[in-house]
Amino acid sequence: MIDFELTAKDREIINLAREQGKIAQRYASYYDRHENELPPEQFPEAKNLPNPLDLAEHASDSSGARILHSLVMHEIYGGGIALHRSRWGLGNAVLNTVATPEQVEKWKNHTIAIAITEPGAGSDPANIRTTATFDRETDEWVLNGEKIFISQAESSDAAMVFSRFVDADGQRGMTTFLVEKGTPGFTVGPQLRKLGIRSHDTCNLLFENCRIPEFNHIKGNFKSTMTVFNDSRPMVGAMALGVARAALNFTREMLIQSGIQIDYRGGIRSRSAIADRFLKLEATFEAALLTVLRSKWLEQQDVPPKVEASIAKAAGGKAARKITQGCVELLGPEALAEDHPLDRCFRDGRIFDIYEGAGEIQRLIIARSILDYTSRDLR
Amino acid sequence: MISFELTEEQRLAQTMAAQLARSTLRPAARDADEHLAIPPSILKEIWATGIVQSQAGAEATRSATLNAILLEELAVAGASFAIAAAAPIGFLSAIASQGSDAQKKALLPLFAGDSYQSAAVAIVEPDFAFDVSAIRTAAVKTTNGYRLSGIKGPVPLTRYCSHFLVVARFEDRLQAFIVERDAKGVIIGEKRPNIGLRALETATVTFDNVEVSIGVRLGEFAGCDVQWIVDSARTAFAAIMTGISRAVMEFVIPYTKERVVHGAALAQKQVIAFRLADMRIETDAMRWMTWKAAAILEKGGDATRQAQLACTYAREQAMWIVDEGVQMLGGHGYLRDNPVEMWYRDARTVSALEGVVGV
Ligand SMILES: Cc1cc2nc3c(=O)[nH]c(=O)nc-3n(C[C@H](O)[C@H](O)[C@H](O)COP(=O)(O)OP(=O)(O)OC[C@H]3O[C@@H](n4cnc5c(N)ncnc54)[C@H](O)[C@@H]3O)c2cc1C
Repeated sequence: MIDFELTAKDREIINLAREQGKIAQRYASYYDRHENELPPEQFPEAKNLPNPLDLAEHASDSSGARILHSLVMHEIYGGGIALHRSRWGLGNAVLNTVATPEQVEKWKNHTIAIAITEPGAGSDPANIRTTATFDRETDEWVLNGEKIFISQAESSDAAMVFSRFVDADGQRGMTTFLVEKGTPGFTVGPQLRKLGIRSHDTCNLLFENCRIPEFNHIKGNFKSTMTVFNDSRPMVGAMALGVARAALNFTREMLIQSGIQIDYRGGIRSRSAIADRFLKLEATFEAALLTVLRSKWLEQQDVPPKVEASIAKAAGGKAARKITQGCVELLGPEALAEDHPLDRCFRDGRIFDIYEGAGEIQRLIIARSILDYTSRDLR
Repeated sequence: MISFELTEEQRLAQTMAAQLARSTLRPAARDADEHLAIPPSILKEIWATGIVQSQAGAEATRSATLNAILLEELAVAGASFAIAAAAPIGFLSAIASQGSDAQKKALLPLFAGDSYQSAAVAIVEPDFAFDVSAIRTAAVKTTNGYRLSGIKGPVPLTRYCSHFLVVARFEDRLQAFIVERDAKGVIIGEKRPNIGLRALETATVTFDNVEVSIGVRLGEFAGCDVQWIVDSARTAFAAIMTGISRAVMEFVIPYTKERVVHGAALAQKQVIAFRLADMRIETDAMRWMTWKAAAILEKGGDATRQAQLACTYAREQAMWIVDEGVQMLGGHGYLRDNPVEMWYRDARTVSALEGVVGV
């Protein structure tokens, strides 16, 4: 039956995440100003608190693990930084999706970053130049190339590297390699200087004649590897909306303090332009969050969402841009101060429509699907 | 528990409504617009779905969510058709949820007949400064009842209306009064076609010192929550705007695939393809917002915020979608040979209304 009410269990776990988000806010502004310092694996407060993401995974009587997980992530991003740092990267998702049982066994406790983007290949991974050549003499792969903008670059134990290959028979193709930290020839660059999400660990990676054993060759086909994004895209939407909601909540509070009420009863001729603008931003938030829930709900029905995952990512990414920009404008000059929470929301909120497939890429996916076009027909 | 699952019954009803919309209603939409009336045969078909009558049944058969689902389907064929159903639904659901036992008993069975009939929720007033928060129609207490005065409109399908649910200012708050069409002092104005929804034969209805009995105040002595009626209407409008948006999207997808310009299908141009993608994103979002508001109403919760957000969002997005729909057809979109110009007019008209309909 169609229903949008959270269960008592949902609310309990979401509230817990929200409380932790409040604690985390303090740290968020510290790491925003100290971008070269990595946040600890666990903040002191986190020691005595359960990780709401784990609770979401195992809760009974919830709206379902995928839905609840995304709503918890939403709260965490509202706080600006995770009190419990995630142990997993998207590389782990790739490992779990396509690796052999032996490979999974070996690296299941590693934090694995995902390394796709290169200077000449962002939205279009087909342009990847990083290449692994098979060395018959040692039965090893020799990897050369540069990866940029890699999340969890410093804090991870290994990277799942998307690469071209030239095998022993001279055959060519695309594949992935798991490269562990400390492998000679693998270096991690300094932290990148970003507009926002400065507490996030983001660096470039360099592979120079980096020798990798055959066992580290993760041989999923490219298509199934990319399915991990079906899960992560709506999640990015949920994160984007976490930041957006923090901005909306702050803005609402400030407007009310300044005597501007948001009244949902009247029509457009009953409210001020400011209240009207706020209401529209709030509607944009609701709209996007529901597309996230829709995609997550489909996942729970074992209907792998595809176009819905892209809808959620596109809607969340765009909403975060509109809402954070709009809130700063609504509150006026006073909102520009750097010590305001809006400052961070404004900067953090801009990433979600860029990474993990920019908004344009999501629209390509949606358009191809509704038009029944191939990637050749529409690119 | 968050769920987007339709029940078996909802799915069936949805399929049926979609079928009717496609086979019978859509082909009749242009004519209805041109001839400024919905043909009786079409009203009969709408009535035969049972969607209106089910509001009059037991509490258990009334479902705001199902109404929202069905109104979207009907609106894909034509917003006027959807409103022909949503207007009596608005009236009946207000009676069923806000009326006294006596009012329910007296009024609900009147709508169990075999032929189309309507009743209108009269909130809007013909005034450029109109807002639900600034209603001018007023009711005053008399010795035996109330006296109503004011002008309402546009009111759709007046000739099929047996009653009007008149929202008026009464003792510093808004209340609703059930007024029979034949009551003394009720003056139905000339039909006055609008930019869109032209088949609805809208007119103003003047209440010139209409004396009504004490029993007609909705909810009688307890009164009623007019905001509930407004919320229900906003939810219905959001459903209808979702339907109009879907109509546009489903029309322009094949059109832009076929239309070749500068050597390639229009749809292969990103500027077009991305707008199509946005139409899909926004239509989805509108629908989920509508469902959410409807689900809250169905559970008897406070849906004011959700209905406001759903309607506000749908107004903006539906207008954007119809606008882009016209643009994608170019000059062909501007001609009355294609339906997009009609949807363009309908969307603007729907988005200007309050009241009138319900879920
Ligand atoms: C903070 C941060 C963290 C990141 N983390 C990771 C990570 O962990 N791992 C990883 O591999 N990458 C990561 N990235 C990289 C990110 O995924 C890419 O930046 C993103 O995919 C866009 O690629 P690009 O920067 O090369 O932009 P480009 O591909 O050059 O795109 C530029 C613009 O053109 C648009 N565009 C591209 N192609 C088309 C098209 N066909 N049609 C229309 N418009 C198009 C894009 O949408 C974009 O707006 C991260 C980036 C950032 C900023």
